Amino acid sequence: MDKNETLLKIDNLKVWFEIRKSIISPPIYVKAVDGINFELKEGESISLVGESGSGKTTLGKTILRLYEPTSGKIYFDGKDITNIDEKELKWYRRQTGLVQQDPFGALPSHFTIYRILEEPLLINKIGTPQERKEMIFKALEEVKLTPIEDFVSKYPHMLSGGQMQRVVIARALIMRPKLVVADEPVSMLDASVRIEILDLLKELQDKFHMSLIYITHDLATVRMFSKYIFIMYAGNLVERSTTQEILKYPLHPYTKALLSAIPDPDPENRKKLRDVPPGEPPNLVNPPEGCRFHPRCPNVMDICRKEVPPEKEVKENHWVKCWLY
Amino acid sequence: MNDIILKIKDLTISYKTRKGSLVAVKDVNLELKRGETLAIVGESGCGKSSLAKGILRLFPRNIEKVIGEIYIDGKEILSLDQETFRKEVRWSKISMVFQGAINSLNPVLKVVHQVAEPLIIHMGMDKISAYKRAKEILSLVGISENFAERYPFELSGGMKQRVVIAMALITNPQIVILDEPTSALDIITQANIMNLLKILKKELNLSYIFITHDIATTSELADKVAVMYAGEIVEISPSEEFYSTPAHGYTMMLLNSVPTLRTDKKLKSIPGTPPSLINPPKGCKFHPRCQYVMDICKEKEPPLFNKGKEHLAKCYIGENHG
Repeated sequence: MDKNETLLKIDNLKVWFEIRKSIISPPIYVKAVDGINFELKEGESISLVGESGSGKTTLGKTILRLYEPTSGKIYFDGKDITNIDEKELKWYRRQTGLVQQDPFGALPSHFTIYRILEEPLLINKIGTPQERKEMIFKALEEVKLTPIEDFVSKYPHMLSGGQMQRVVIARALIMRPKLVVADEPVSMLDASVRIEILDLLKELQDKFHMSLIYITHDLATVRMFSKYIFIMYAGNLVERSTTQEILKYPLHPYTKALLSAIPDPDPENRKKLRDVPPGEPPNLVNPPEGCRFHPRCPNVMDICRKEVPPEKEVKENHWVKCWLY
Repeated sequence: MNDIILKIKDLTISYKTRKGSLVAVKDVNLELKRGETLAIVGESGCGKSSLAKGILRLFPRNIEKVIGEIYIDGKEILSLDQETFRKEVRWSKISMVFQGAINSLNPVLKVVHQVAEPLIIHMGMDKISAYKRAKEILSLVGISENFAERYPFELSGGMKQRVVIAMALITNPQIVILDEPTSALDIITQANIMNLLKILKKELNLSYIFITHDIATTSELADKVAVMYAGEIVEISPSEEFYSTPAHGYTMMLLNSVPTLRTDKKLKSIPGTPPSLINPPKGCKFHPRCQYVMDICKEKEPPLFNKGKEHLAKCYIGENHG
């Protein structure tokens, strides 16, 4: 049905962090990612949406193999990369790119922009100095940092937040990766430049036919950006479908709560209270039994407190993890 | 009783920097009525936090000049001496929820003590009654007695934000300045805090000055919106008109750059970056970025035009300027 090939396949992935090591007591784990399955096709983009502590960044970083998975499998281009060694990992790093949240921290302050962009090429022993120069100039042109001659010799602190984020994007894309993880790429930027950066990322993704995982807590930016939304709560994917479908027909009570929490600019807002559940996401050391959302859920039933709901395809391509369906 | 609780007249604040004098706030005029919320919106570096801290007379060390007048409850406060201001105005009449304050809670003190501290130190209250009062305020913001006795690290981000709000309310101020009170919080927690602020405002008849860069969140509280650009208030209007009939080029472009969940519109970002406050551009300070720019904008600084009822804007759009 779809001629696009699957680029990334995640199979029951778990990432647990051990927080106390003692000879006597058993280890305690933070279950940051706890049993996740999905597939991502070549050239497609998904948005991973959730609150802080939902495990979305851990999932993104584990996919890039910056974290070691506890169990489960990650397949990239048909190859199992869950436990590959150093040498293969270097190959995998070339296939993937990361756009970090905080451009101020992501760029080394003592390197010029030229040096920052040359670094991945040097590490991978690519090209002659002249070829590298051409690649760097091309990368800066792609992210529209012009006049290029002015920018190559600058240091990060001489740039604005938006310009820095363009350098971060240029660096992530200079190796032409097949998969890019963008972790809250605009949350630190001013509202007026956010759209610009997201537009740029979208444009480059289409141009190079990359797959993109966009991690965010801001549902309002997702609709302009990606075809699919995955909603994460407390280490689980609770709902996934196309962006249109989720925004129009959210099924999981958590997704509904997220949507109703986001204000649209409307002066009427100030006259009424928002209908949102109280409380905050659970501690992942001791997540609640059964459905992890049940202590905050307005539709909670007896079964939710005891058993973990299975992931069910309620409509075509609309998966939800909830006992209501 | 005076209806206007805060009045700012021709306020200008400048800082000394190595490159010269930086005018962070320029000729600002504002009025806040009792029980009203005024939102101040703008990009980072537009001077909104400088203005807020200026109202509390919290100036950095490199302050150069403060010109103008600020009246709180009819009394001019810039001319008061430090000691009188600290005793009679700051925190007792007007308080503030600082941006990122949840990270500034003292990790080794119980939250109830941190909330009670101003009562003990400023008001000379004894510890037992100060704690009692602190617990009342904490329960008002939704922190139960049991949590009042805990340390900050035992609380979640949303609860810490509630504690910080309690700290601003403990001295019964009439005006509370909220500087990005929800920017570090999750979306659902944000909505919960906004609900709390709405309830508190009604119950305690508070006036808010709400500082934010988030246009959508602005509508959660604001009765009136002031838009700041490069240190100046370029437009001020009632909330209803702010969203429906913006009058300044900057406001129009700002509204077009906000992604919304429920409406399909083509978004457009504002090109360029805010100007240097040391050497601002000639004419209208926004003209280099404005899509509606006219010849006059480059030459002559626009005055505040009347654009409607209680609606002012420093912009030539729609004006007959010969």
